[in-house]
Amino acid sequence: MGTLIFRRLLQLPLILGVVFAVTFTLVWVLPGNPLDRGEGRRLSPEVEQAMRARYNLDSPGRFVVEYARGAVVGDFGPSLQYKGQQVRDIIAAGLPVSASLGAAALGVAVLLGTVAGVMGALRPGSPLDSASLGLTLLGISLPNFVTGTVLLVVFAGLLRWVPVGGWSSPQDMVLPAVTLGLAPAAYIARLIRLGLADIMASDYLRTARAKGLSHSGALFRHALKVAYLPVLSFLGPAAASVMTGSFVVEKVFNIPGIGEYFVYSVLNKDQFLILGIVLVYATLLVVFNLLVDVAYAWLDPRIEL
Amino acid sequence: MKPPAAGYTLGMQQSFLLAFCGVVVLWLGGCGFESEPEALESGELRFVSGAPIDTLDPQGTSWLIDFRVIECLFEPLLQVNPETLELEPAAAAALPTVSEDGRVYTFTIRPEARWSNGDPVVASDYVYGWRRALLPDFAADYAGLFFCIEGAEAFFTWRGQQLAGFGESGGSAQSLWDRTQTRFAETVGIEAVDDRTIRVRLREPTAYFKELVAFAAFMPIHEASAESFLSLDDRTGVLTTRSAYFAEPENLVGNGPYRLTEWTFKRRMILDQNPHYWNREAMGNQRIVMEVNSDEGNALLNYRQGRYDWFPNVSTSSAQAPDLIASGQADVHTGPAAGTVFYIFNCRPTVGGKPNPLADPRVRRAFSMAIDRDLIVNSVTRLREPTATTIVPVGSIPGYDPPEEVLPGFDPVAARALLAEAGYPGGEGLTGLTALFNTEAPHDKLAAALANMWKTHLGVTVQLEGVEKSAFRSRRKNGGFTIARGNWFGDYRDPTTFLDLFRSNDGNNDAAYQNPAYDAKLAEAAKELDPAVRFGLLREAEAIMLADAPIVPLHQAINLELFDPERVRTLYPNAWNYRRLSAIRVAAPAESP
Repeated sequence: MGTLIFRRLLQLPLILGVVFAVTFTLVWVLPGNPLDRGEGRRLSPEVEQAMRARYNLDSPGRFVVEYARGAVVGDFGPSLQYKGQQVRDIIAAGLPVSASLGAAALGVAVLLGTVAGVMGALRPGSPLDSASLGLTLLGISLPNFVTGTVLLVVFAGLLRWVPVGGWSSPQDMVLPAVTLGLAPAAYIARLIRLGLADIMASDYLRTARAKGLSHSGALFRHALKVAYLPVLSFLGPAAASVMTGSFVVEKVFNIPGIGEYFVYSVLNKDQFLILGIVLVYATLLVVFNLLVDVAYAWLDPRIEL
Repeated sequence: MKPPAAGYTLGMQQSFLLAFCGVVVLWLGGCGFESEPEALESGELRFVSGAPIDTLDPQGTSWLIDFRVIECLFEPLLQVNPETLELEPAAAAALPTVSEDGRVYTFTIRPEARWSNGDPVVASDYVYGWRRALLPDFAADYAGLFFCIEGAEAFFTWRGQQLAGFGESGGSAQSLWDRTQTRFAETVGIEAVDDRTIRVRLREPTAYFKELVAFAAFMPIHEASAESFLSLDDRTGVLTTRSAYFAEPENLVGNGPYRLTEWTFKRRMILDQNPHYWNREAMGNQRIVMEVNSDEGNALLNYRQGRYDWFPNVSTSSAQAPDLIASGQADVHTGPAAGTVFYIFNCRPTVGGKPNPLADPRVRRAFSMAIDRDLIVNSVTRLREPTATTIVPVGSIPGYDPPEEVLPGFDPVAARALLAEAGYPGGEGLTGLTALFNTEAPHDKLAAALANMWKTHLGVTVQLEGVEKSAFRSRRKNGGFTIARGNWFGDYRDPTTFLDLFRSNDGNNDAAYQNPAYDAKLAEAAKELDPAVRFGLLREAEAIMLADAPIVPLHQAINLELFDPERVRTLYPNAWNYRRLSAIRVAAPAESP
């Protein structure tokens, strides 16, 4: 186990290096001018040249070296779009918000997903199973902005049970966490439901049933644990993705996370911000995958790492 | 015998334990919640901003939302009163004295003006702030507004060239900076005569100079505190103010009615009354809370629930805008803005190596005459904006009467005749035209409507091309279009804020429109001292340009804002978005039954 963690951590800089190189290349060839100011007035050629030199935008080589040097110590440089803001500060302000929302959404996903999946598997082919299938299909098919808006209008607008977006208390977390958790919950439900169907038909469970164990007893005591393994491998990337925020959910609920930077930094060609966000995301992805692998080995000793 | 599944039983519990620990660790790390600021009994103004404030550096921004807060933290020499729309002395004791030739302005600072740290406001603080705008280092969006000052443009260009060539010069950044300071003092016509007197020498009489001085880029900067945040980059020679100066409440020193109490990027900003402000008696509130909410629908829901007193600048391209305006509710305030929405024609002789049919003014005029503007504002935008046939919005500048008669209105028959005269009867031979627009706002409807009108009335097929905004702007700037969407908002109350756009050498002249007669008229107006004669000359200039039709004006932009006039008083919506947040009084919420 120790070797695994050590080996993975050794790979981390390598992976980040590759991610950085690829992202940098893509960003550099993006059309558009990062010093451009939306609807604002244009910079004069002299100013633009001075600014290009200042931020190393005139030399890809120097940009890479300077950026990498800063990124190692967590300094991702200034944001070109949000003039006067440092990328580090922008991420530091938004990431805890996105991460805690993501964690809550993941909790919702695991809870709802497990319940729905098990409900379906309890009585295969029953109306309960069809209901679970229907709900999960709905969860997968409905886009965030629809569920988010509907929840917001009903529970915050009409019923006034929760605040209309913002981020000032745990109450603010309820609706966005449900919105964000619905799609992964649906996946988890399907994974569990299908896994359980397979496992319940396996020889060792048939034996257990033959020895007098009830259907639900076999399901809860034996099958569910095995059915959880694919869920675990799904949870790694899912965690990285929900914890780095969602553009749509954060926008609909006015949550000051980092989700919107994934979109706007690219539209604005804000090189410093794009690279900073991508590096943080890649780090989280590697770390969560590592966590999943560790948990795997822990849960199922038959798995060699 | 140990059951084979025992390990898994433990595993299940472990997995939940693991998940639980993960969640707890993250929560302990802080969810980033920010508690509500304690509401004041009264004297508090809460408003919502659709975008985050980027910077509070008065010389470092061109965004309306940034300026709105900057105007609370700093005070220029003169200000426009939003109620009367008259220019008034602000930090200056009186309106400036102007020399006979209209070229020398002398301002006197009122003796009671103080910075938020108690220091007296002195003339050199203004010189210091204005100098920042003229240093290419700070990339001031509005450096151009200072170019009417003697020596300013030459100084700006000189410093830019020095920086551009800094790598090869081998000199030190410090010595270049020393030389720059000397050069500024010797060549630029901005001078602190004594602690309270500022004298400005202009390149030529600039009739609207007082309007400029009231503009947010003309704010002073507290030299003593800002100086310690300067850093000089040894490699490029570029000077920067470290961002902490304008971002941290303990660093920022302002001379406006408020001081910065709290700022969390993308969330909110709290401003409290500046205890040293000279005119506190005139203030209508003690605290301003600005919350950022980038989702229009969410912001509207919050506004309806009473979270915000004021919702300024509701986006007119939002889905709700037409319904809000049509609702006629008392809290919906709408009116024309000092901006025009238009489409630009590329006037270059060739585009992409091919001859450009739009280089012929007759073709451009025909395209303009084929547009039914009423249909656009009633059925396409559905906002019933005032239609426009001029670039300077009608009624936006007191005393200036734009030449509405030059560009004919909707006349498909004459349009077809003109197109035939230009050699394209029935639109034959006119190919390869596209209407370029940016896609981050719903501009496609307007583009489609125009293309449809050109097809129906002229027989010309114009393809639609929506691109993302940076590609849009770079193509517009570099002439990579035939027809493109455009709009322009005035910065100060003078026709030149619009007309300069069509000068042959203007950096924003995307149409590449060139007419020496037009440039000559503008130059003649710049030297004219009599205001009425000057406006007459500008009107002639605008008429020349409109006759050539490098653009086709469609309609005026409008402002849309929400506030309950019973509760939020002394807030005066106006075309130029002149605001005085310190004057706004918010009545305590009415007792609800």
